[in-house]
This record gives sequence, C-alpha cells and structure tokens, in this order.
Amino acid sequence: MMDLHCEMIMEEYREAKPVLERMLVEIPALLRDKLAKNGIIVTAVDARIKTEESLKGKLELKGNKYASLSDITDIFGARIITFYTDDVDRIAAMVEQLFEIDWDNSVDKRMLHQLDSFGYNSLHYICRMPEFPYRFELQLRTTLQHAWASINHDIGYKTGVEIPREYLRRINRLSGILEMADDEFSRIRSEITDYRRRVQQLVQKGKLDDVLLDGDTFNSYLQARPFDSLNKRIAAINQAEIQEVPLMRYLRVFVAFGCKTLGDVQRLVKQYSEAAYRLARHQLGNTDLDIISSAVGVQNICVVCILATGGGKMGLVRFFDAINGHNTQNEAIAEMTFNLAKSIQL
Amino acid sequence: MKTEIVENGSQVIAKFSGRLDTAAAVQTAEDVKPLLEAANKEIILDCTALEYISSSGLRIFLSIRKEAAAHGSKVIVRNINADIRQVFMMTGFISLFVIE
Repeated sequence: MMDLHCEMIMEEYREAKPVLERMLVEIPALLRDKLAKNGIIVTAVDARIKTEESLKGKLELKGNKYASLSDITDIFGARIITFYTDDVDRIAAMVEQLFEIDWDNSVDKRMLHQLDSFGYNSLHYICRMPEFPYRFELQLRTTLQHAWASINHDIGYKTGVEIPREYLRRINRLSGILEMADDEFSRIRSEITDYRRRVQQLVQKGKLDDVLLDGDTFNSYLQARPFDSLNKRIAAINQAEIQEVPLMRYLRVFVAFGCKTLGDVQRLVKQYSEAAYRLARHQLGNTDLDIISSAVGVQNICVVCILATGGGKMGLVRFFDAINGHNTQNEAIAEMTFNLAKSIQL
Repeated sequence: MKTEIVENGSQVIAKFSGRLDTAAAVQTAEDVKPLLEAANKEIILDCTALEYISSSGLRIFLSIRKEAAAHGSKVIVRNINADIRQVFMMTGFISLFVIE
C-alpha cells in the first residue's frame, strides 16, 4: 500500500505525462541527429517513460527516499546500443557536451567490478536538458553487453525465483567472455582501419607488389583510377562522355587470371592496354556512339588478356558470366566478341 | 518508333518497337516517364521489336536504370537483337543491366 506522500508523487507523474511524451519524441531524435553528424553507426537508440505500474512498485519499496517526482532519475530513460566498446566512450564524450550531466548520480558500471568479478557492464549517465524539468537516465552499452543484460534480466527477474549461486556464477562468467569478444571486435576494427590506411599509402607510392589482392585492396586500387587514361583514349575516338559505373566485379576476374597482388593486376593492365584500345577503336570507330561506361577499358583489357592467353570462346563466356552473372545471352556476347577480335587479329 | 507501357503486378514493362535513334529519343523519353514514376517495381525493357539504339537511346535506358537503382529495384533488358547487344558490349554498359 502506498502512503499519501507516494500518492502525491503518482499524481505528479500523471500531470507530467505530456512533458514526458515530448521528451520521448525529442531526446531520441536529438541523439540520432548527433550520432549521424558524428558518423557513429549504432545498433539502436531506444527510449521509454517509466510505466505507472513500475513507478508504483518503486514507490512502494522506497517512496520515502523521494521528496517529489523530479528526484526520481529514471522516470524517463534512453539507451544507445553500440556495435563497439570504443563507440561507448565516443558517445559518452558526445553526450557530455549535449546534456548537463549529474555526475553525483551517474555511474560507469564497467568500472565497478573488482579485478576478479564480471557482470553488468554499462555506462549510466543522469542527464538534464534545460528544456525539460526532469532528469533522465541515459544508458550506453554495446550490443553484446545489451544481450547479456537482457538475458540476465529475463533469467533473474522474470521467473521471480531466486537463482542459485551456481547459475549466477555461470551467467557472470558469460559476461567475461562477452567482454573479451567486445574487446576483440574493437581491436579487429582498429586493425582493419590501419590495414586500409597502409594499403592506401602503398597504392599511392606505387608499391603495388607489396599489396595482396583482395576486396579492400582492389577498392583502394580503383580509387587511384588505374583505367582512366585508357578510358579517355577510348572516349576520344567518338568524343564520347564517360559514365561512371562500379568496377568491383572485375576483382574476381583478376583473381581468376591468377593475380596475387595489385602489382600483378597493374602488369596486366600495362601489357594489354594497347590491344584493348585497338579493340575499342575497331568497335566504336564505325559508329557515332558518344557515350561509354568507365568499365569499357577494363572490360576490353580482360577480353584481350583471355584471348592472348588462349582462353578462347569458352574463356570469354566465363568472363561474361563473371561480370554479368550467368546468363544464356553471355554465349552470344562471347561469340560476337570472339569473332570480332579474330577479325582484327588481336 | 513506338513505346507501350504495361503494368503487370510487381512489374512494369516497356515494349519498344522501331528505331530508337536521336530523332525518336525526345518522344521516347517522354513516353517512358511512367516508368520513372514506377521505379520501385521491377522494370522490363522489352526490346523484341527494337531494331536499333543510338547514344540518345542508351541515355534513356541509363536514366531508367538510375531511377530504378535509387529505389532498389532492377532493370531487365529483354530480347535484344545482335546489333543492340553489340552496342551494349562495346560501350561497356552490358554489365550494368540484366540482359535476358
């Protein structure tokens, strides 16, 4: 049963509902906007108003602790769930600039554990916005921390039965494993970022033999626009405009050619550019086509490479299957290309 | 040059017939406008009766593809003849469309 004091707080809560509803709209929107501006991608931004039932339960337990509704810091709560642990700290810095933080009531649960204990890990800030009279709780945690907390809550509270110590220990052990996984995900992300930077530097310095060929490195190679000069020569045949198209699908073709490094790709490009240009001149020279795609150079390089290395018609079919997807039309395209190349003795 | 647009459930089909050359391109660009408005559907460019395509015609096909890509849908070019296939091939646009 609630006493009169708690009933007054409940009444205050009901009167505060319109303000809380506004907070429910404005605070998540503000958070999403700031995250987007800072380029931070998160799993979710959630918010909720404490339900009447939940508030009632809280007041029944410790109602005398609160003089009024504004003393209850979790009457409104927001939560940001991140992919990486590093992002929790980045968002924390963002939040500290965005809101006034009640440091006395904020707590970094990640720091509360002893060296040999594991369990709930989240950063809880008690925040205030000048526009609203109520403080609110903002929780920051990773997806894995969120998964652990949700399952822990489900097991620990939903059943309403006290969990034996053995099971609690097993749940907390899992928290330790997830902490390791979180750290590893963050480390992997940092190392991939470093790797991409190193590759870009090597590409810029022209040290292509030091760069193994994969999706990341081929993308960096394409950013250096290796087919531009050939495409411009081909465009000049008919004073054509060049339309940009994606070229990543050519990665699998270069892999099929046996290229192991970007240096191998570059050597093929050099070796077959002249023949690729001759093929284009022969094809386009008799037309008034004044639009080409940025794939025309690399496409012709691949065609002449296949023919020069004895791949023949079947090699061309496989090539067109790789870039167009498997399609019955590819045989006709290969046949046409093969006959044309033969006629100009490529 | 004639263009006929047919809506068929989740698909919208443009049937081209004749020569899509520079002279015909202005009218064809106008005729395919309903396709751009239905770009959230799968778009079929039926070229069974299309005899020829010029750069201007290619630009129309590219604008349809651009609009469809912006809506996450695809463009299928169906039944092109050997000459048109060669145009797609030598301009490097062949891998940009699904050619059936």
